[in-house]
Amino acid sequence: MTTATFILKNALRNKRRATLSIMSVAVSLFLLVFLLVTLREITLPPEDVGAALRVAVRNKISIANLLPAKQRPIIERIPGVEAVSPFTWFGGKYQNEENMTFAQFAMDATKLRAIFGEAKMPPEQYEAFESIRDSCIIGHVTAEKYHLHVGDKITLESSIYPCTLDFKVAGIYSGTADDRNMLFHQEYLDEACDNKGWVGMWWLRVSSPDEMPRVINAINKAFENTSAEVRAETERAFQLSFISMLGNVRVLIGSISGVVVFTLILVSASTMSMAIRERFRELAILKAIGFRRRELFAFILAESFSLAMAGLILGAGGAWLLFTHGKIAGILLLIAATIVLALALQSALRKQALDAIISFLIALVIARIGVWALLHPNISKMTNGFFLTFEVTPRIIAIAGVVAAGLGIIASIAPAISVARMSVVNGLKTLD
Amino acid sequence: MPAAENIVAIRNLSKVYAQGEIQVTALNQISLDIQRGEFLTLMGPSGSGKSTLLHIIAGIDRPTSGECRVQGVNVTRLNESELADWRNQNVGFVFQTFNLIPVLTAFENVELPLLLTKLSRRRRHELANTALEIVGLADRARHLPRQLSGGQEQRVAIARALVTDPSLVVADEPTGNLDSHSAQEVLSVLQSLSRTANKTVIMVTHDPKAAAYGSRSIHLEKGELSN
Repeated sequence: MTTATFILKNALRNKRRATLSIMSVAVSLFLLVFLLVTLREITLPPEDVGAALRVAVRNKISIANLLPAKQRPIIERIPGVEAVSPFTWFGGKYQNEENMTFAQFAMDATKLRAIFGEAKMPPEQYEAFESIRDSCIIGHVTAEKYHLHVGDKITLESSIYPCTLDFKVAGIYSGTADDRNMLFHQEYLDEACDNKGWVGMWWLRVSSPDEMPRVINAINKAFENTSAEVRAETERAFQLSFISMLGNVRVLIGSISGVVVFTLILVSASTMSMAIRERFRELAILKAIGFRRRELFAFILAESFSLAMAGLILGAGGAWLLFTHGKIAGILLLIAATIVLALALQSALRKQALDAIISFLIALVIARIGVWALLHPNISKMTNGFFLTFEVTPRIIAIAGVVAAGLGIIASIAPAISVARMSVVNGLKTLD
Repeated sequence: MPAAENIVAIRNLSKVYAQGEIQVTALNQISLDIQRGEFLTLMGPSGSGKSTLLHIIAGIDRPTSGECRVQGVNVTRLNESELADWRNQNVGFVFQTFNLIPVLTAFENVELPLLLTKLSRRRRHELANTALEIVGLADRARHLPRQLSGGQEQRVAIARALVTDPSLVVADEPTGNLDSHSAQEVLSVLQSLSRTANKTVIMVTHDPKAAAYGSRSIHLEKGELSN
């Protein structure tokens, strides 16, 4: 026997409690990872090269307020500006769906390649989009979702403008940070919906990142004290301000994460205290035969730590597997569900009703998640296209790891103190 | 014949407990010598202080005043950590309720005190096997405590007490939870430790039949030695 086997045997002596403890840590860490990934996804800065050169210009009062189209030549004349395009939200509903499931924007098709060059499409589709006035291009995610192909016709009913527009799909693009949007001609919107003279906002490309601050400043100054003052900002700043309109998401998710961690600490500390209290007499014996306080503390810490780490592997590892390899996660979960079900049957045969019921319920939940993961093998399908990538980054894993390690340490402090304070004689009295 | 060597020398040992505002004297000015290889039984009514005396000799309790030397070491002067090391090397414990670790096999329970030593894994196994052979349980090495009878559990506890080769074995009512047959087995093992292995065995007991296995018996009454 080694010290490690001794610790492991102690940690698993009450298998039901150990399993439930690991599961509670795993579920909480899964939730924490989910929240952190969500927060990252929402606030993710655009990473493509074009994003570093793009500027968003919106109405200073609110993004909902339109801007006059006559601003365009003024912006175009500012040194450092390479291309300008309107960008107007259409707010259309597709196929009588209750909600808008993808966004549509009207723009200057001839500036698409200059401003959003990361959108990859065959050249003939680019040309078709530029030349056909009622054409549109669609991100591949939306195209796949609705089985749309080049040449198809679609109809969208706007919830903002009093019109319904027919479009011909000229191209399907990919390679942008969000391959869900639909883009069409501003001119088509202006004429068909009688919207001449107004745009939603401007997107422009500057010649170099060094020019960015000067261009932003120049645009803001150009429309000062006009009826439509603007706010120009980098793409990242724009995205963050857009998100902030949803409320302080960062604080909200941070608070929920905090509550998750705090509750987890309470649960783990209580479980660990209970596990150690039950073994006071044994710990007194260990003291009597020569184990010192620091060795007993190391045992308790290692036990608590190993339970927390098992929870980390299941929770954070499970999150990574589920979000990035849905099918594998689904298969593994179904295998796990089968094993737990077998254990439930074994407990039932042994007439251990409580174990059987708990195991059966756990098997049911695991199987349900497994089937769901198999049916939704990627995050886009899991979230109905809301999230495209859901990357569990090494940083997020590291945060979960630090939380788990902290949990292991904090949960072991109280029992370790009580064991350190316990005299051998008093510890032995607990057995008589 | 050489003079018998004193392994334990107790001088003017007192232990006073505070129970709220009341002072309870558990031991009152006890002086006692115990020789190597002796099988000493401590008898007396409940609350007479026999267990307290045993605990102080074994280094798991401290006296209020007086001196307790075991093999020349004044155990009352050792700090917590030194005392733990000293106990591991010099004292073997046998308790009334066996106190084996339920998740460890008999063999692992016996091996447990050796985890604190620097012995190799092979040497630890040799010593644990030898200790189990001494108590006649080599064939039960892979059994968990719940798979053993009370007498067998206590013999495993004795093997655990022996495995570090201590000079002193202390037993607190080791037959208190056993039937008469198992009690005889356990007492015979303790007696043979004293007679053949020259271990000093100190046993607390209420039972005069158990005390008869000892080479000397002393009585305590209200914290004092009585004749």
